[in-house]
Amino acid sequence: MSAARVRQIAVSDKLCKACYLCIWACPWGVLEIKEERNWRGIKKPYAARIEQCRACKLCELYCPDFAIQVIVDEEEERKILEVEESYERKWFDRLKKRDEIISKGVWWL
Amino acid sequence: MPGELRLMTGYDALVEGAITAGCRFFAGYPITPSTEIAERMSNRLPKVGGIFIQMEDELASIIAIIGASWGGLKAMTATSGPGFSLMQEGLGFAVITETPIVLVDVMRGGPSTGLVTLPSQGDVMQARWGSHGDYAIIALAPWSSQEMFDLAIKAFNLAEIYRNPVIILSDEVVAHIREPIKIPPPGEIEIVERRKPSVPPTEFIPYLPEPGEWVSPMPAFGEGYNLLVESVMHDEFGHRIGMGQPIAERKIKRIYYKIEKNVEKIAMYEERGLEDADVAIVTYGSSARTSLKAMKDARNLGIKVGMLRLITLWPFYDKLIEELSSKVKSIVVPEMNMGKIVREVERASKGHCKVFSVPKVGGVLHNPDEILSAVKLAAR
Amino acid sequence: MIQEENFEHILAKKYMRTELLPHAFCSGCGIGIIERMILMAFEELGEEEWKRTAFVSGIGCSGWTPLYFRSDVAHTLHGRALPFAIGLKLAKPELNVIVVMGDGDSMAIGGNHLIHAARRNIGLTAIIVTNMVYSLTGGQMAPTTPEGAITQTTPYGNIEPNFDLIELMKAAGATYLARWTTYHVIQAKNSIKKAVKHKGFSVVEIISQCPTFMGRYVLNKSDPRDIMQWFKENSIPVSVAATKSPEELKGKIIVGEFLHKPEVMEYTERLKLLKERVGRR
Repeated sequence: MSAARVRQIAVSDKLCKACYLCIWACPWGVLEIKEERNWRGIKKPYAARIEQCRACKLCELYCPDFAIQVIVDEEEERKILEVEESYERKWFDRLKKRDEIISKGVWWL
Repeated sequence: MPGELRLMTGYDALVEGAITAGCRFFAGYPITPSTEIAERMSNRLPKVGGIFIQMEDELASIIAIIGASWGGLKAMTATSGPGFSLMQEGLGFAVITETPIVLVDVMRGGPSTGLVTLPSQGDVMQARWGSHGDYAIIALAPWSSQEMFDLAIKAFNLAEIYRNPVIILSDEVVAHIREPIKIPPPGEIEIVERRKPSVPPTEFIPYLPEPGEWVSPMPAFGEGYNLLVESVMHDEFGHRIGMGQPIAERKIKRIYYKIEKNVEKIAMYEERGLEDADVAIVTYGSSARTSLKAMKDARNLGIKVGMLRLITLWPFYDKLIEELSSKVKSIVVPEMNMGKIVREVERASKGHCKVFSVPKVGGVLHNPDEILSAVKLAAR
Repeated sequence: MIQEENFEHILAKKYMRTELLPHAFCSGCGIGIIERMILMAFEELGEEEWKRTAFVSGIGCSGWTPLYFRSDVAHTLHGRALPFAIGLKLAKPELNVIVVMGDGDSMAIGGNHLIHAARRNIGLTAIIVTNMVYSLTGGQMAPTTPEGAITQTTPYGNIEPNFDLIELMKAAGATYLARWTTYHVIQAKNSIKKAVKHKGFSVVEIISQCPTFMGRYVLNKSDPRDIMQWFKENSIPVSVAATKSPEELKGKIIVGEFLHKPEVMEYTERLKLLKERVGRR
């Protein structure tokens, strides 16, 4: 396989737990550990040699936290935003509704 | 034929009542003296489109009926003393997930394997306090075949209204007695169906009822509501909580008060001859049958005796006993155990009158003379 | 460019309850990879199948697995996931019911229910997560702990022989059996797809790494990368294992598909035949 032009390898600050299974899984040596710690106190992996990436997605397969994704082109980026809008956002309203009701106090206490 | 009199045993009447109320799932395990309930259910349920399965033990039976209840069916199981001890874990699970189920306990002599084929009333406290943690339960005690039919329907209705398990505390005598019962025509029987939610899944909060209501509607699995049925202490969505004391307090108090604060609506009882009574006999189940004879004998001797028969044992109707204890001189409580409901009667009477216990263990009903001598002692 | 601050993988956005993420498993735990295997299997099976799926789980680290899925989930008592799934499947036979259990949950306290569910050949998919210890309570011995291992309740070494789940399930009557490790992600995903489509009782056992307890106590490795390397080097496919002697197989993990019998009738079909025979009133 020759190297493909990969747009971005996104590693989540919220979800990554620094197990580094993605670095072990990558056959091309693309990922390295960062020097600084982020706001959660861990050293995230990042794409040091992104031009070597062949988009085999083994790093995605072995990540237990759903924290890493290889975004190859704009088509994939658009799909991510579309899924977020149609599948994820609509379930957050009931969380706010519950918080409002609880803050006013429940009737049986 | 509905409307006619039919000669039926207690367990036959229970099965007919359950099927009339809409029960379409039974999972059980054979145990004397409730085996006939499972046998008759295995005969009747396939004919009405229901499902019968004999599970490998009582632990699996009660969890299977909880699973079937979340699948949308009304479900029931039947057991006796040793099996009831095994089912306590599942009972706690049904309470915290607010699942409506009906459990029939045909009480037999204990403890342990005990007097297998003989009656007792020894499980009345275990029905209320048997599982661990804080919870409330509804328990009904029938005394005749007719009541086995009526209370079966009532048990399913109460389970659906309060989303709680309901226990029917029969004993071996009432289960095996053969008496004529009258089945009302279908239009005259009140059956409560499950409430379904009226909002779409993205707005539905499973464990937060509307203001003024105690329970929220209950969807079934597979209807798109993305339910979380959870045995760990959870919040209004079913998500687990780490250390949130206010959330746990809200949940525990709601499932406790929804039964304990509705005693007036749930409690059922029967009074005979209490208008001018000096002595009251407070009893339930088969002991009530013997007490009736003792009451008639005592009236013939000139003692003013009345009888209060408790049909709902739990939640215990404190106010009723308190009012009764202010009107009479003493209360006699005959039971086929070493004295269990008498403790509740003593507590609720608050010392207004004397309370006498008439225990009977060993697997036989009381002799009416035993209750009569206690009544004579109480009338002095 | 996508913001990395609150980023989640596309499978998580589509199928998981993202308000509960990051999930509560340890760093490098194999259960995260098992969640990914299940979601990839359903991504390929289609949205219609996902809508008619329900998950039931027991208690333990593996019991928290399906709680993160946006689907109907039941988190039941310790060892009692299978009776709940049987009751649910009988009430609604058209649902795909997937039962996720741990090794102690299914083989110790729930052993009786496992045998009888396999005997009935009822249409469930049991995913058994084996990590050789009881991890949620702190690393005690389980029926699958190797002999000689030192755990919290065997401080002088384990003296009990352990279980072979596949042989037990073959004798009890299950009709699809497979075992993989978390190293074999694609193969396990294919097995899960086949197990969901298979009509009878299917068991997919997945050996998973627990860096906190199993790694430190049983294998003396605390880095999940080392445990994955150990899985890679010590698993033997079933066709190769048939040619080797028992001494060569000692301490190795045999992986692959062991059994597939689609012709045995499933329990809800038998029940349907019974109902037709008896006739409705």
